Amino acid sequence: MTPDMIIPLLAATVQSGTPILFATLGAIFCEKSGVLNLGVEGIMAVGALAGFSVSYATGNIWLGFLAGGLSGMVAGGIHGLVCLVFLGNQVVSGLALTILGVGVADYLGTPLIGLKAPGFVPTALPLLSDLPFLGPVFFRHDPLVYISYLVPVGMWLFFRNTRAGLRLRSVGENPDAAQAAGFSPTHYRWLGVLCGGFFMGLGGAYLSLAYTHMWANHLTAGRGWIAVALVIFAFWNPLRAVLGAYLFGGMMAFQFRLQASGTHIPSSFLLMLPYVLTLTVLVFSSWKGGSSATPQALGVNIEPAD
Amino acid sequence: MIEPAETVIALEGISKSFGKVHANRDICLSIRKGKVKALLGENGAGKSTLMSILAGRLQPDSGSIRVDGVLQRFPSAKEAIDAGIGMVYQHFKLVESMTVAENVFLGQEGGRFLNPPAMAAKVRELAISHGLEIDPSATVADLSMGEKQRVEILKLLQRRSRILIFDEPTAVLTPQEGDQLFKALSHMAAQGKSIVFISHKLGEVMRVADEVAILRKGEIVEEKRIDEVASQDDLARMMVGKETFLTVVKEAVVVTKPVLEVRDLSGNGLKGVSLTVRRGEIVGIVGVAGNGQKPLVETICGLQAPERGEITILGKPWKTFFSQRKLSETLSYIPEDRIGLATCPSMNLSDNFLLTTRKGFRKGPWLRRKRVETESRSVVDRFSVLPGHLSSQARHLSGGNLQKLVLGREFFRKPGLIVAEQPTQGLDIATAKDIWGHLVGARESAGILLITGDLNEAFSLSDRVVVMFEGKIVDSFDVTDTEKRSRVGLMMAGAST
Repeated sequence: MTPDMIIPLLAATVQSGTPILFATLGAIFCEKSGVLNLGVEGIMAVGALAGFSVSYATGNIWLGFLAGGLSGMVAGGIHGLVCLVFLGNQVVSGLALTILGVGVADYLGTPLIGLKAPGFVPTALPLLSDLPFLGPVFFRHDPLVYISYLVPVGMWLFFRNTRAGLRLRSVGENPDAAQAAGFSPTHYRWLGVLCGGFFMGLGGAYLSLAYTHMWANHLTAGRGWIAVALVIFAFWNPLRAVLGAYLFGGMMAFQFRLQASGTHIPSSFLLMLPYVLTLTVLVFSSWKGGSSATPQALGVNIEPAD
Repeated sequence: MIEPAETVIALEGISKSFGKVHANRDICLSIRKGKVKALLGENGAGKSTLMSILAGRLQPDSGSIRVDGVLQRFPSAKEAIDAGIGMVYQHFKLVESMTVAENVFLGQEGGRFLNPPAMAAKVRELAISHGLEIDPSATVADLSMGEKQRVEILKLLQRRSRILIFDEPTAVLTPQEGDQLFKALSHMAAQGKSIVFISHKLGEVMRVADEVAILRKGEIVEEKRIDEVASQDDLARMMVGKETFLTVVKEAVVVTKPVLEVRDLSGNGLKGVSLTVRRGEIVGIVGVAGNGQKPLVETICGLQAPERGEITILGKPWKTFFSQRKLSETLSYIPEDRIGLATCPSMNLSDNFLLTTRKGFRKGPWLRRKRVETESRSVVDRFSVLPGHLSSQARHLSGGNLQKLVLGREFFRKPGLIVAEQPTQGLDIATAKDIWGHLVGARESAGILLITGDLNEAFSLSDRVVVMFEGKIVDSFDVTDTEKRSRVGLMMAGAST
């Protein structure tokens, strides 16, 4: 392959990796607080719809992007209500949220099918975009991609260097310790669920506002599930999540290009590739001892005293 | 005479009951500045309840807490922490995946943003100044139990707690770590901290405490300065109390063949234990908790394999007995842990009844539900388990009723050997009497091994009494031997007989 082929492929990798990156970061944030959220796919779908319709109605793409995040927060709030207030089963609630979110987005989105809404367009960053190789791969994208470069670093610093980050992590590991330290573990789980939902919603909004500028059903196409798997691949580390997201973005961009090039490999087989990779990655990370990075209280509800 | 140190905390008339059981009754206790106060008592004497009240985790039914003379209420742990009361729990409250420094600062970060190097430096300084050596950047999961305990202490020191409560701190430590802890305790007391030290180990209390308060059945029976205590035996006597015979009617039963024979059982904390239980008698094992009773019971009941020595149960060697379980002539185990080991809390009463008994309730792969219902109904009625709805979950029963259900279930199996561990711990006196009656009645067909921390219970039920200390049997005597009975406190404390 020549550089002319590799650079566009890598640039496409970054673009298709971005929604997955947002969603993975959201899931990491949520799971770090000890709440397992399998509703990523549903929350992304809701975020995509909200982002698209607000941008369509107001013509303001930034408002649309924000709406995507906020709707994700609301959807995450449903999960929080079930798991944190009524102490429901986190796995069941997450699965139900996926079905609900995808269903709602399809239902409410039906009148929008085929419509176009204003969306984000690539803006080359001055100076950086002129860098050889790195410039075209990383710095000739839409603004949301640039935001996605900052979020993992910000999240990493948040976990490591802020009071809220320390407490949120402690709640995911041992809510008892949090209680004994004199703060409410449930408050920090809410923080995890809501902010996590916000980032998942952003991931959805990226799909309808930047990846395509059109509405179609099933826009998320299983990306939420990939994000769930990537959390494990990333060992719950926001920086490692970047690697995972681009690995999958690369696989998606690659199979897309392979299809376009008129290969004889059946397209359904190519479409399977990202998911085959998902399974491989899961097996590999478990085998490498990723389980020791799992928040110890993940999926375990905080039972009230007495 | 030195002037008495100022009182930092005064508990006045604290009472707390759980249902009919009085965990604490009218307790008055003062904690003084710069002093180590030991709270001594058997399991279930109410030590932990009292300290949970002080730490704001439980609310007293009546009574008041004064801090520096000011009346205070602790609706939650936070208020107690703010008042300067800190607790080191037996089960550490640490986040294993975080560093020592992060754990120390958790909940008291002192700002929105953290500065890891500064945190580590602060912890290092604190550790050195109190003689608690530790690496602030180590991950807690990699630390030994003693080091983890030091992290807990550092948490309290960082919080500037003035009253430090230790719940059985040496239970998880090696002797060397224990020595280090005692040094740290004296050091902290010298710096003006008040220390409360909960324990049932007499030796440590004599070693580190300035004052000792003895709890028995929820009441403070004695409060003394340690220099007023003559010896460990003195403490032991205060802890177990005067023996008063309870009114348990015991009819004479013919003692026949042995149902349990233990020969030179060693390992797992036991040192050459030998004992025999015959059909028709109750053998009571007494001793301060943690002196080998647990491994002995677990080995006899098949929960752990004997390392060295032999056990013969109902005429069969240990291994054979547990590999060919028979339906009659069984071993029945009535564990101390009623809700975790004896029953499944979320299963209903008849399913719990079936846990150890399937005799006559099977038809091929099918359960004969109707029969289960009638039989468990009759057990529930006979043992007056209340409320007796077969469909209610076991977790909704009170401790006493749960125990009666367990007893009924085990007696239904017509056991040849019964191992009863603390059968009346935490129960009110009426239920305890019921249970004693059932146990005494069961001698007709079984030999009973009774493990208890309650001397009165041991003396009124047993035919023979066996005293354990540090994994060994110190003495074994007939219950009518009043001379030995008066010396049992000494034996439990390890004094040679």
